[in-house]
Amino acid sequence: MRPIRSARLVAVPATAVAGALLLAACGSDTDGRAELSVQAAYIPQPVSDTMAAGFLTIVNKGDAEDELTSVTSPAAGQVTLHETVGSSMEQVSSLDVPAHGRLVFKSGGNHLMFEMLKNKPVQGATVTVRLHFAASDPLEVEIPVKSATYNPKTGH
Amino acid sequence: MRKKTFAAAVLLAAATLTLSACGGSDSGSPVASVSQETGKRAVTVLDQPFTKPALVLTDTQGKPYDLRKETAGRPTLVYFGYTHCPDVCPLTMNNIAVAKKQLPKAEQDDLRVVFVTTDPDRDTPAALGKWLKGIDPQAVGLTGKFATIQAAAYRLGITVEAPHKDKNGKIVSTHGTQVVAFSPKTDAGYLLYGEDATVDDYTKDLPKIVKGENP
Repeated sequence: MRPIRSARLVAVPATAVAGALLLAACGSDTDGRAELSVQAAYIPQPVSDTMAAGFLTIVNKGDAEDELTSVTSPAAGQVTLHETVGSSMEQVSSLDVPAHGRLVFKSGGNHLMFEMLKNKPVQGATVTVRLHFAASDPLEVEIPVKSATYNPKTGH
Repeated sequence: MRKKTFAAAVLLAAATLTLSACGGSDSGSPVASVSQETGKRAVTVLDQPFTKPALVLTDTQGKPYDLRKETAGRPTLVYFGYTHCPDVCPLTMNNIAVAKKQLPKAEQDDLRVVFVTTDPDRDTPAALGKWLKGIDPQAVGLTGKFATIQAAAYRLGITVEAPHKDKNGKIVSTHGTQVVAFSPKTDAGYLLYGEDATVDDYTKDLPKIVKGENP
């Protein structure tokens, strides 16, 4: 056990330093805008006919922060932003997308809540949503509907 | 030793995140590395098992359901949640349902999956029945007085709060964060599953649970 332990103690600071170096390198190309993209979006097939949760990650490669202010979808009467606080969820009016950072929606954490769905989303279908930001132009995303037990860690 | 390993993993994950936020590739893998922070097992085997609460509520047929009587000598999973919950409640119940389908038929019939609502005003017997039918028609759905439900949850170490309205007038409910597994041998609640338990966790453990064994 001992040799492994000492090896790890050396390896960890080295990695942390590499990360810090890269961060510094990033800071130099300033144009003062958020650069947003979306990844890992999915909707688990809901049980309910009228309500579903949605998850995605908004990546900001730019130098400025932005704010997700609303989400709209032709498939739902209403889409709201929620944070999970303890074991209940609270609706919020906006969420920050930090510069060189990301806003993550994941099960048990932040989620989009689709209400008044016109049709029940079924596995294999997609749901179109439009993400609206304080500064950046809106982003349109086709979110795939996955199985009810879809786990992004395992991909099934 | 375990703690050290954990701390190292978090540091590494943090470094990876920094890297990917700057780098050109955004293949989605950083999301996976963040979640590895919770590298603990989904199940906790209790040194001091819980006594099954004496709980009589109303089932989806509108009939009284005595938890101790109906589940005596049967492997039983109990979860506290509500049907207007879009995320964790249906995920937890679906994870269990998918894992259960992989048991032999006789063991599926033996296993009791009991969903107790934490939002009894909205979760009427009919509403619960409709919701559970979409997940596992064999699952038992129970509703009743919130105070009765809260007291039973409390005896299993689960805290739930009464539904209340937020500033927009929307009802905010709480769900339990744990599934309790009761042994068919002792009728005691001997295992706890956190909300990050996956289909694979339940699939691996249910064959042990139906025999009252430790996973």
